[in-house]
Formats: sequence, C-alpha cells, structure tokens
Amino acid sequence: MRTGFRYGIMLVVGLVLGTGAAALQLKQSFAAMGIENGPWRTGEKVGTADASVATRATVALRGLLALPEREAIYFNASTDSQGRELSGKCRYRVAGGAINARWWSLTLYDKAGYLIPNPASVYSVGSAAIPPEEKANWTVDIARQRTGAHWIAMPDDQPFELTLRAYHPSRDLLARRGSVPLPRIERGECDA
Amino acid sequence: MSRWIGPIVVAVIAALAAWYGTLAAAPSVIMDRAWMRLADQAGYNRMAHTPPVVAERQTIVRPSPDLAYSICAFDLTQAPLEVMIAPVPDHYWSLTVFDSVTDVAFVESDRDTGGKPIRLVLATADQAVPKAARKVVMPDAKGVALIRVLLNNRAEIGAVDAYRKKSFCRPLKS
Repeated sequence: MRTGFRYGIMLVVGLVLGTGAAALQLKQSFAAMGIENGPWRTGEKVGTADASVATRATVALRGLLALPEREAIYFNASTDSQGRELSGKCRYRVAGGAINARWWSLTLYDKAGYLIPNPASVYSVGSAAIPPEEKANWTVDIARQRTGAHWIAMPDDQPFELTLRAYHPSRDLLARRGSVPLPRIERGECDA
Repeated sequence: MSRWIGPIVVAVIAALAAWYGTLAAAPSVIMDRAWMRLADQAGYNRMAHTPPVVAERQTIVRPSPDLAYSICAFDLTQAPLEVMIAPVPDHYWSLTVFDSVTDVAFVESDRDTGGKPIRLVLATADQAVPKAARKVVMPDAKGVALIRVLLNNRAEIGAVDAYRKKSFCRPLKS
C-alpha cells in the first residue's frame, strides 16, 4: 500500500473518530460538565471563557444563555438516585430540604431540553410554592395525574430530564456543589 | 507493521484535534443559529418582551417557565446599542449580555442595583460613546441581551409587564 494512501486513510479515520467522540460526549447528557452529586450533574465557571471546552459546548447545546454562577447554579439529572434513566413510564417523588439560595425551581424537560406539552401546562415547581413549614422537608411528585400538593406533569412514556435551578446561590452551595445534600429522586411504580 | 506507526500517530493527532475543534466550535455555531432565529422572530436591536413560556412556544433550549424573558438580539455594526432596564419591584430580575460565543460580557440583578434601573451602552472597542455613558465593550458586533424576571405565579404577568415593558434596547443616536 502506498505511503500517502496510508496516511490519508488514517487521517480521515482520526478526524471521524474525534468528531464522533465529541458528538457522543455531548449526547451523554450533562456528564461532560464534570461534577457529580448523586444523580445531579453540574459544571464550573459557566458563561465564562475559563470554563472547560466540554462545559462550554454542553451549556451551548443544552442550556444556551445560562446565567453565570454568581447569579444561578444549574443541576441536571437524567437518572434517579439509583442511576436508572428517568422514564415517563414511571412515577417519581423528588424529596429535598432547604437549598441555600434566594429561590429555586425544579423543571422537567424532554431529552432535547424542551418543555413537554401537557393539558395542565404544569412544567415546574418553584420554592415560592413551598410553604414555610415544608421548606426543610419538601416533596414534588412527577406523574400523569396530580398526586400531591406539589406536582409536575409527565404526560407520556418518553425519557426525560430534570433541572434544578438555584438563583443567588450561597457561597457554601457554590463551594460544595459536588457534595452538598441535593434532592433525592425516588422511583415509584412503573407501567409495563 | 512499522509502516503503520506514522499513520497511526497521524490518526491519534487528528482525532484529538477533531474532538477539541468540535467542542470548541459548538458555542459559536449554536449561538449564531440562535441569534438568527431570534432576529427572524422579533427583529434585532429592539427588545422583545415575550409572554411566559409554554411547551407550544419555545425559542431557546431549556427555557424556565418561572421567568418572564425579554430578549434583544443585537448587531453593533452600524452603531453602539443603548440598553435600559426598568426595575420590577419586589421581584428577582437580571440583565445578562452574551457575546457571539456565549460568554457573559455583563450581568447584574436587582441585588446589585438596589432596585435602580440599569443603563448601558454596548459597543465594540473602536466605537466611541458619550463620556457619561456606562460602556460595555463587546468583543464583536453580535450578541444577545436577556432580561429575566421571576414570576411568583404565572397570573402576575400583567403586573410584571407594566414594569418590564419600559425596558428597551435601541441604536445609540449620534
């Protein structure tokens, strides 16, 4: 085999593999952002040139126009607390305590990062809806029909993702974003 | 086999370069497409005060249904841009200015301003602005200015609109 042909072939193979690896990395939800905390994934230095190239690409693809962390920190989950993919075939309960921020919200998206149409137009629950006596111990249900006081609609069987936004996070939350207690995502009954 | 050592090294270098290049290029490519979409829908160098997001009407990925967004896609090619953000009392609100590669050039919220308005002029380094203006230097001509206002519930959008619709962006008059 001619030398030039060998180099040409391997150059193309390398380019395809590199591009494919980048695409696969971005497809693997938020894992590319690097910081894990239970089922939640987040990154550092969002919105700045100092963020890693993987974080910048992931945010552009999955959370374009995100705020920098002095304003908000974003945690994203595509699995429950036992590592099983979130699925519309199952019911879930998200259970958490106080989140050290000015306010927070929990929002459900499809795998592409868009709100899912549902008859009730209920896509999220925010801390403003949690009464003071529940702030330290709250639950949000995810199901077809409303099952409790705090509920997010999941109208069909598709896989989904959750985003937890904490606005004006405390210094402690920013410093311990990989270890601070975050809401648990517990799976309930599933349809066959 | 030794004839393949050189080509394999080339493949590894090419793979690393392609991996890095793909990730590095993603923000500018995605932002460019988003800018075009925003400009097509609402024009540019003007503030569009969009209604609360619903699933049937989503322009940008991962929108928050708890926020009211006002968006100004801007192009500084012809002139600097004057931006004024009117405060919304007793609500979280913020202004974020993104450059063409998604980096934040400016961000402030009600916590920073103490409830006062934000007045800025966005300009490239070579554009002159009035001395009294608060100039934010943009690395290139295109970007997006985004206002977020927290809605305690979606029914209060009418009351919030009365304040946020005073906010504007417009080319600076020479």
